Amino acid sequence: MTEPILSVRDLSIAYRTGRKESVTAVSGIDLDLYEGQSLALVGESGCGKTTLGLGLLRLLPNLGEITSGSLTYRLKDGSTQDLLAMKKEQLRRFRWNEAAMVFQGAMNAFNPVIRIIDHFADTLRDHDCGDGKKWTKAAVEARAGELLETVRLDPDRVLQSYPHELSGGMKQRALIALAIALDPKVLVLDEPTTALDLLTQRSIVQQLHELRAKFGFTMVFITHDLGLAAELADRVATMYAGSIIETGSARDIFYTPKHPYTAGLINAVMPVKGDRPALESIPGFPPSLKAMPSGCAFHPRCEFATAACQGERVPLELLTERPQAMDHAVACLHHDRVRLDRKHNDSPKETSRV
Amino acid sequence: MTAIDAAAVTTPHKQRGETFFGRLWTGLTRSPAGFAGTLLVLLIVGFSFIGPLVVSKDNPVDATNIWAEPSAEHWLGTEYQGKDTFITLVNSGAEPIWVGTLAALMAVFVAVALGSIAGYYRGRIDAVLLQLTDVTVTIPQFLLMLAVVAFFENIPPWGIAIVVGSTMWAFLFRSIRAQVMSLKEREFVEAARLQNLGGARIVFREILPNMAGFIFVNFVISVNQAIYAIVGLFVLGLMPSGTPNWGLMIHNSWSQNFYLNPVTLPYVIAPLVMIVLFTVGLVTMGRGLDQALNPRLRER
Amino acid sequence: MTAPTAPPPQQRAAAAAPPGRTASGVMRRVWTSYAFRRILQSVFVIWLVSTITFLLMHFMPGDPIEIMAGRLNSAGMSHDQALATAANIVNYDPDASVWAQYLDFLKGLVTLDMGNSLTSPSKTVFDHVMEYLPWTLFAVGAGIVLATVIGLSIGMAAAYRRGSAFDHAMTSIGSFLTGVPNYILIAAVVVIGYTVLGILPFLDMRGRVTAGVEPGFDPVFFGDALYHAILPIIAFAFTATGSFLLNMKAATTEVLTEDYVTVARARGLKPGRISRSYVGRNAMLPVIPQVALQMGTLVGGSIVIEQILDYPGVGQMLMSAISDRDYPVVQAAVIILATSVVIASLIVDLVLVKIDPRIKTEGQDA
Ligand SMILES: Nc1ncnc2c1ncn2[C@@H]1O[C@H](COP(=O)(O)OP(=O)(O)OP(=O)(O)O)[C@@H](O)[C@H]1O
Ligand code: SF4
Ligand SMILES: [Mg+2]
Repeated sequence: MTEPILSVRDLSIAYRTGRKESVTAVSGIDLDLYEGQSLALVGESGCGKTTLGLGLLRLLPNLGEITSGSLTYRLKDGSTQDLLAMKKEQLRRFRWNEAAMVFQGAMNAFNPVIRIIDHFADTLRDHDCGDGKKWTKAAVEARAGELLETVRLDPDRVLQSYPHELSGGMKQRALIALAIALDPKVLVLDEPTTALDLLTQRSIVQQLHELRAKFGFTMVFITHDLGLAAELADRVATMYAGSIIETGSARDIFYTPKHPYTAGLINAVMPVKGDRPALESIPGFPPSLKAMPSGCAFHPRCEFATAACQGERVPLELLTERPQAMDHAVACLHHDRVRLDRKHNDSPKETSRV
Repeated sequence: MTAIDAAAVTTPHKQRGETFFGRLWTGLTRSPAGFAGTLLVLLIVGFSFIGPLVVSKDNPVDATNIWAEPSAEHWLGTEYQGKDTFITLVNSGAEPIWVGTLAALMAVFVAVALGSIAGYYRGRIDAVLLQLTDVTVTIPQFLLMLAVVAFFENIPPWGIAIVVGSTMWAFLFRSIRAQVMSLKEREFVEAARLQNLGGARIVFREILPNMAGFIFVNFVISVNQAIYAIVGLFVLGLMPSGTPNWGLMIHNSWSQNFYLNPVTLPYVIAPLVMIVLFTVGLVTMGRGLDQALNPRLRER
Repeated sequence: MTAPTAPPPQQRAAAAAPPGRTASGVMRRVWTSYAFRRILQSVFVIWLVSTITFLLMHFMPGDPIEIMAGRLNSAGMSHDQALATAANIVNYDPDASVWAQYLDFLKGLVTLDMGNSLTSPSKTVFDHVMEYLPWTLFAVGAGIVLATVIGLSIGMAAAYRRGSAFDHAMTSIGSFLTGVPNYILIAAVVVIGYTVLGILPFLDMRGRVTAGVEPGFDPVFFGDALYHAILPIIAFAFTATGSFLLNMKAATTEVLTEDYVTVARARGLKPGRISRSYVGRNAMLPVIPQVALQMGTLVGGSIVIEQILDYPGVGQMLMSAISDRDYPVVQAAVIILATSVVIASLIVDLVLVKIDPRIKTEGQDA
């Protein structure tokens, strides 16, 4: 078995909220990603998905800080490196070349005062990839045109445009094209389709499929949308209040979720009867980061909670061992009591979104 | 969104049970620099307005005692006519300060009136007013003032205040208009609108009180700008004045080349120091208040 | 990191109707184009200021011709001769109606014939003003450039190091410079540097050039002119530096939180490139209009500064024209100075259009 391409151990991230105070937004994440795999990170708004995604590239804003853990990447040259030990220049060269990120809300991802082609030129020139090639204007134009065509954008029209001249969907595609410009091995996509209309969402998902088939990058796909997760991911991790509370293959998660929260999420999207999603299926609200419940953070909202759930922090427990980190693991003391409301005989892929 | 209980519609500034001055006070105490600036401003205003009541008004010309060194009798020495420099200084602040304040009041008044109309009603009137400010902003105001003063000699100080004020309002107009526009979208104004309370009432009762802090900050900054223009005119000797004032002291120092002679230092430096202190006080006060009263700035 | 939803249908509708294919469409594009509107506006402002000065002169207490004749008369001319000279000096017929005078005046503006100087009646007012104008424009221009370079770079550095001692120090200096009138600051510099400490050779620095230096295209002349202009340049730079510094700091702070900056970091771009073309270029956009605004203030303030520093620019000329009651010169100087301010800010705004591609397509509502 090969080494994982990214191995996360005990990663915690905190945001400073005052001179001395801070809140822990992500805690104790363990994660292995293998080459070519695609992992969906799902969970309610505010559970720390973006924070974790940014953390994976050490891109946290000034107030955010990785407080513990390690992030080991296997680089293109085969060596392994702890991202947290990298110096500034090394980190700069790592970013986008080894791991790229498509941001939540790509509307403002482009510098408004320069043309799309300049974004490609800047990226290519600042990472002259060693083969001695000079990124002349023509070379950039050729490469950028090729990339835009892979996401079905017309280079003649888009390259010379300024960002504000493109629609939201076009910008999102252009950003994806930019993200794969250096052929990164890992691609983190943070809700890449959220602000788009359904048709555009569909075609972007379709293109992500194709790109993955073509370039074979490893993908971390952050989403609210379980339908999308089901469609794009081989593997799913559910996050709640800053921790991964269940992880497994897409099949395990969607057909036999073992955490009451995951089951609740799936029930919320896939109605038992009629066509209205039963959004109320998880009562209550996620906890505030400042007042995290003891023990299992989900206990105030959990129908199975017992006194034991309020004691110690509940660790991930391995349920079924599967190859290449597809193991089904859950952080719940009473996982054996969790059932989906009904037997799903239709594939989750055909269900609608929230 | 139809039946709204009038009693439930309370504007934020009333809701918190705070008066404008209460908030001003909190704002000032929250920002040490703003507090220091305010103290400085109050100190100089006190010096210039209460000082003349305390200090003997009697300041005779004394040709035998010109440019005397500072002493117990003459704290800052005497000037070119043998008058006491300190007494002159005490009497020199009132005129620039009140003329500057009047000009700023005018500018703020016009900017708030036009800004509210433009921001609340939008449409054609808004477009016209925007054009008008675009034009007014590009007119070099000091030049215009100079032209007025050059052709119409002996303009009274309040006349100058009007001229200054009427060129300054345009600089405030846009930000006031933007503020009105954003407040108009807020729920409490929305609620008042649904009750058909009428534009004028909504603007005066709901919108303006909620931007009182913002307006006050703009007022403080405007006083500073007006002082620039007014003292400048005095320095040029273009404004007749019966009373001594900072600008006139500088004018005397320069037009008769006193400033090149070390003997005259107290007389030459005193008005410079007063103006520096007063203007520094005004900017620090303005900036401090701005940070304290406008939360959006505070977050950064 | 939230983004507004851009509804694509609308975009498509906009793209489906390309404006300006027909002749009338082209006319409409020109009419609505930002540059055209901006130029029109500038012409309007120049006309407005000119008209105001015309009205001021017309409505000033007493008859301008009488007043000027009175001055010539007291200078030794006979009454009739003085009246004739005075009538000759203005570029309109003093006996005509106001409207005719106004039309003459406007015609004179366009043909740069604004009458003659009262103090030297053989010289046209335009030539007279032009003798002084370059010196002032040189000092103001150099001051603005200096202020822009210093203000923008320090403001940006302060934003990068927000909360540091450097930031606090620079922000305080910035507030100080914007708050205190520049003529007061430069007066203090002269008094402290020359009168108190005796280290500033102020007496030598006055005037335009040192006696004996001939104007010409040679380094000696330019060096000397610069030496004499240093204090005015510094004075002009004072307020503008403070204002640019504070504005640039605020703008940079804002831009640093923008998504495209985070994305640029994620893209592994070199820090120099990020601060130049991603942060700097965007942060400059709201500051550039300030440059245009400052220009008006500075040219106006130049009159006080030239008086304080004894620099013979157009401000000093204007002052002596005012004290000589040389009304045609005052009028011309005000119009020409206002025109140069308006043109300068027009240029700045048009440059802004070049830098910010969004202005062209946006409406006028900012
Ligand atoms: N800059 C910040 N300072 C302080 N707290 C922050 C900051 N950014 C995020 N947080 C907090 O960290 C938690 C996780 O935020 P994050 O953006 O990672 O959530 P998310 O799962 O991506 O949510 P969404 O689905 O809405 O994008 C939230 O509670 C949020 O309030
Ligand atoms: S550990 Fe207890 S509270 Fe937490 S999810 Fe399981 S049953 Fe519910
Ligand atoms: Mg997020």
